[in-house]
Amino acid sequence: MKTIVEGKLRAIDLSMGWAGPLLGELLAEMGAEVIKIEDTLHFDWWRGSLSMGPPEMQVIERSAPFNTANRGKIGATLDLTNPRAIEIVKRLIATADIVIENYSPDVMPKLGLGWETLAPLNPRLVMISMPSFGAEGPERNARGYGNTIEAVAGVTGLVGYHDGGQPYTLSNALGDPSAGLNGLFAVLVGLREREETGRGQHIELAQVEGVVPFVGEAIIECQLTGRVPKPRGNRHPAHAPHGIYGAGSGYVALAAESDDQWRQLAHALGLDALAGDPRFATEADRKRNEDALDAEISAAVKDLGAEETSRKLIDVGLIAGQVNSAADILGDAQLSGRGFFVPVERAVVGTHLYPGVAEHFSETPLVPDRPAPLLGEHNRKVFGEILGMSDAEIEALERDKIIGTLPRQLASKAA
Amino acid sequence: MPYSSLRKTRVVDLTHHIAGPYATRLLAEVGADVIKVEPPWGEGARKAGPHLPSHSNGANGDRGGRFAFLNTNKHGVTLNLKHPRGVELLMRMLEGADLLIENFAPGTLDRLGIESAELLKRFPKLSVVSISNFGADGPDRDARLNDLVLYARGGWTYPVGERDREPLTPPGSLVQYLGGLFGAIAAMQAMLARDLTLGHGQHVDVALLEAAALTMIYEPVGFQYSGVVRERAGKRFAVGPFMIVTLKCRDGYAGLQCVTDKQFESLCDLMGRGELATDARFNTALQRYVNNDALLAIVEEFFLQHDRKWLHREGQARAIPLVGIPNVAELLEWEQLTSRNYFETINDPVLGRIRIPGAPLRMGSHRPEPSRPAPLLGEHNRDILCGRLGVSDRELQDLQAARTV
Repeated sequence: MKTIVEGKLRAIDLSMGWAGPLLGELLAEMGAEVIKIEDTLHFDWWRGSLSMGPPEMQVIERSAPFNTANRGKIGATLDLTNPRAIEIVKRLIATADIVIENYSPDVMPKLGLGWETLAPLNPRLVMISMPSFGAEGPERNARGYGNTIEAVAGVTGLVGYHDGGQPYTLSNALGDPSAGLNGLFAVLVGLREREETGRGQHIELAQVEGVVPFVGEAIIECQLTGRVPKPRGNRHPAHAPHGIYGAGSGYVALAAESDDQWRQLAHALGLDALAGDPRFATEADRKRNEDALDAEISAAVKDLGAEETSRKLIDVGLIAGQVNSAADILGDAQLSGRGFFVPVERAVVGTHLYPGVAEHFSETPLVPDRPAPLLGEHNRKVFGEILGMSDAEIEALERDKIIGTLPRQLASKAA
Repeated sequence: MPYSSLRKTRVVDLTHHIAGPYATRLLAEVGADVIKVEPPWGEGARKAGPHLPSHSNGANGDRGGRFAFLNTNKHGVTLNLKHPRGVELLMRMLEGADLLIENFAPGTLDRLGIESAELLKRFPKLSVVSISNFGADGPDRDARLNDLVLYARGGWTYPVGERDREPLTPPGSLVQYLGGLFGAIAAMQAMLARDLTLGHGQHVDVALLEAAALTMIYEPVGFQYSGVVRERAGKRFAVGPFMIVTLKCRDGYAGLQCVTDKQFESLCDLMGRGELATDARFNTALQRYVNNDALLAIVEEFFLQHDRKWLHREGQARAIPLVGIPNVAELLEWEQLTSRNYFETINDPVLGRIRIPGAPLRMGSHRPEPSRPAPLLGEHNRDILCGRLGVSDRELQDLQAARTV
């Protein structure tokens, strides 16, 4: 089957971490040629830290997040503090459709790679810049990662147990994947605009501004009611039960969203007496007596298995699911049933299952099962085949440490 | 605020609640022509909150906050798709359309006699994007689901909260929004595939559970590499070679995400404890992992003595990802966003003047324009049905009398 773009688009990915690299990875899944540029000294920080192990461990090639977020890319190195490297990356950009960067706003212009410089080289270029807080504004230079971006976007303040205590950061650094996805949407809009006008453009994606809409309802609630929404924990303002309960060695999430569902749930858990208990007869009763209700349910499920309990409830049409750990999720019935996790073979680490796709195209499937590049793995391809440099030229770049396949910290020790 | 970029893109929107409407909201924000088709009694989200205090008994007058937010810049039409005449009008709407986007339970369109395979044959330019909880197939396709279970199965919930308590679910409907974003992406990708490689449209099946699993940080992969599962670590995101933590300070809470060696040195400087950067307990990433508890105790004590604003300002001055944690009322007044005119004041016909979040992207090619509020139920029936599809005034009256419109 064909891919969405069949290699007809080329992206230069200058980003690090998750947000920008995810955008590049999603383009690679569409069949675009995505060239990831790293520096051998300041390589992608999501590869981890050299100080985590001895050199022969190749620690930076064993990062699960890096190896996931950079699948399908062509990997090259360039020391962008060197003017020769800047000339080379400009030559690449002149041949490209897309440039991805997620530095602070001043970095690209300082490198000599600002939009004003790049646009004349390639009028069809779509460039996306993904600063944390935006290219303008009093905090334009602020540093942010997924968790702190999620926090300033108003999400973290809403995460907390129902009975008080502190806020918690989410488990997935939400600011990062949301920026990668918002960035992809933005690039696709830029490409479509280009189809109509023939012109590229520079698109700015302030990562925080892509997260705020997710709490849009809380922002409006605060204006309509004059009250600041507080964390609700695992509870729901109208429905009960609605919670997470220890079950065997794991946890089960379950809820009843009507009186009928509650009675069904009580029977399914063997709590027949409770189905007729006046303390729990209506939603209002159950909300009023929610502590007692939760205690009854906790006692009923604590010795059962999480997966068996949720399966039993799902099978009778109730709302339930196991609270999946990183290990459990690999066996989730629905995800496995759809073949969500896909095997990928990657040098140094071998073959593992990686997350697949959330969008299933009937004719142009996404391709999530190609490995992430090793540091500088495709230098020959990028500088030789794409830019037409001679072997002697490439060797000179290696000698001058403008490109390489080892972290410069190690290469200089070896030399 | 919308950009009039995709003016030639025509979207027929059969969505309801959150994920589908957010997908079409994003498309409308970049200028696509979106016709939202609702049943004559209105889609479910019109009854959803947040409500004005005077509307809290369900009598919310056409819409609540969710609908008002998620349906700006769309045209609103009513059609009863259980009536053959309703389906017929939908078909006429689909002529010339690029996209049909829907988030009914799988199988619903088929039951209405609107099978996507048939649509794709009849309208070669058209792509159909379906967003559903579990996707179009699989053993749990028809299972009931809510946000609580979506987060739990997707892997988001397990690592959050106190070690000696039950895991803590994320708030709101974040995955539904992400699912909507995936839907908007799928729509753009389908058009790109049509124009670049296929020559015709196709069907895209978007699953919220997969959206959740895909945006979970990649720990199922890490687990296979290392055999380690991240457990709840209280105020810490995790115990690792970093300090990602939510800390109490004098007037609230702050978030710190100290990852690199350089950031750690800057953090030591911020705390006036430069000697810690060379302390053998903390001077490598590995040591900071091994001695994470000791390091946390030091950082914790320092934060308790300072205010959010000071920590945010002084941390950022040293290039440390460190922020004060706002509530949503404070978020609305944050100068970084207000100076960028990020929030847009719309004059909603029911809720009045409200400030809503703006577009996630800023296009160099266009200036943003003021949003149109979400449509009243059937607000554009005449414009679309008579103006575009050529239905006569008389026919429209008949359709209304028959409750088809």
